[in-house]
Amino acid sequence: MRSSQHTPASFRDPSGFLFTRDGILYRQVNQVYQADYDLLMQSGLYERLLKSKKIIPHQEVDCPPAVPEIAYRVLQPERVEFISYPYEWSFSQLKDAALLTLSIQKTALEYGLSLKDASAYNIQFRNGRPLLIDTLSFAKYREGEPWAAYRQFCQHFLAPLALMAWTDARLSQWLRISIDGVPLELASRLLPLRTRIQPGLMIHIHLHASAQKRYAGQAEAAQKETGSRRMDKAALAALVDNLSGAVSRLRWEPKGTEWGDYYDSTNYTQAAFEHKRELIRSFLEQAGPRQVWDLGANTGAFSRIAAGMGILTVASDVDEAAVEKNYREVKKAKEKNLLPLVIDLTNPSPAIGWGNRERDSFLGRGPADLVMALALVHHLAISNNVPLPDLAAFFASLGEWLIIEFVPKEDSQVQRLLASRADIFPTYTREGFEAAFGEVFSLEEAVPIRESRRTLYLMKKR
Amino acid sequence: MLSLPATILINPAQYLDPGTGSLVLQLLLAAILAIGVVTRVFWKKIKALFGKDTPAAADPDDDEDEE
Repeated sequence: MRSSQHTPASFRDPSGFLFTRDGILYRQVNQVYQADYDLLMQSGLYERLLKSKKIIPHQEVDCPPAVPEIAYRVLQPERVEFISYPYEWSFSQLKDAALLTLSIQKTALEYGLSLKDASAYNIQFRNGRPLLIDTLSFAKYREGEPWAAYRQFCQHFLAPLALMAWTDARLSQWLRISIDGVPLELASRLLPLRTRIQPGLMIHIHLHASAQKRYAGQAEAAQKETGSRRMDKAALAALVDNLSGAVSRLRWEPKGTEWGDYYDSTNYTQAAFEHKRELIRSFLEQAGPRQVWDLGANTGAFSRIAAGMGILTVASDVDEAAVEKNYREVKKAKEKNLLPLVIDLTNPSPAIGWGNRERDSFLGRGPADLVMALALVHHLAISNNVPLPDLAAFFASLGEWLIIEFVPKEDSQVQRLLASRADIFPTYTREGFEAAFGEVFSLEEAVPIRESRRTLYLMKKR
Repeated sequence: MLSLPATILINPAQYLDPGTGSLVLQLLLAAILAIGVVTRVFWKKIKALFGKDTPAAADPDDDEDEE
């Protein structure tokens, strides 16, 4: 029998699991989930969500299940080409994922189903917009029951969004620390006092945190107190609307960016900028990649050259504000091939979760076909002290091709980095750079950028 | 009959721990939210009575359907 491999992130829910066989991703639906799955498919909910592009399309296939004894069906979902995680999303990406989850829950209720989980990891970005990738998230709605995923929704979405909006956008990184979202009592303590008079946050975070504390381990007492209280469908729908309002009211405006005025400052004239664009386009045509990672992409000015050529382009930057602006542009222009992500290259997303295998590291999701490192090398080599041979090896591990810009010491951007520290980088010269990278790459092209001191290279891994 | 948190706790479709506090809060909110819904419906009827017809809200799906 052909071997199938259980996907490490897919173990919590007994309804089914993901596995791969011969490089194809499948989802086994288990017998225990039969009734709910049939209801999803027959109620019209799946069709409706498919039509509005809110759920991943799948086919029922004849492929043998990975664990036949408990299997009901095998599905082959369409593949999401690049998996990203909520701690890599900008504010609006997480907000859109939250609103999508609530809108799906609202629709599900109309069809007599309800989301049994509301995990941010069930949402992925494809073609520039979020969609639900977990087909098995639905269960038959049972009259009178509250929403079992309410707590998870607040932890995965509302709490991090509120922290980003009211405290600091960098607090999205709590999601990286805590696999099941931000604990509500922590969010409640970190949020400023004035959020206690915001009705949505007062109820769903502050009061919610107090209720959790008060009833922890008190299931029996809670039963006595609530007696025969019920939550009818209208109240549940109203709760979802209420959460939706609370999420919608959260705002965060990117104030400038770390590299905000980068293109306006001295290093690029219009001619240099245009020349760089032309070179990148021609290098991309030469290499013909299917997936590009633009590292240190800022707001995506150069990522859009690749995305515009129909290439799936991951545009990462360490700066929340730049990524937020990039995503807003993706939405505005309905761009399909661009995925902006918040990644700190000096400390990229590690593998996290159970057995360190639930969520893959950033590097583990590679290699890409081509990596772009534009105006980046000085930040890594000088600000982060990475020796040039290590940098070359790092880029070689990420992709087959590399478009890289060398920014020499005379450049004002490098001068700025060196202004406050000793120059301990005697090999940071064009010759030193070419020697180090030449060890692992063949230098296919090296073109000085017009009206600048910089050089743009196209390299191919040896 | 079992009270509500008990039924949800023994529902086999639920694999998450919904959290006792999270359930209690929802049950308490249910009453308030229901009042909100009734008030809104009532208010709409009153406005309709005086001819201030509010256009029906568009299906949120619709604006996302187009390509």
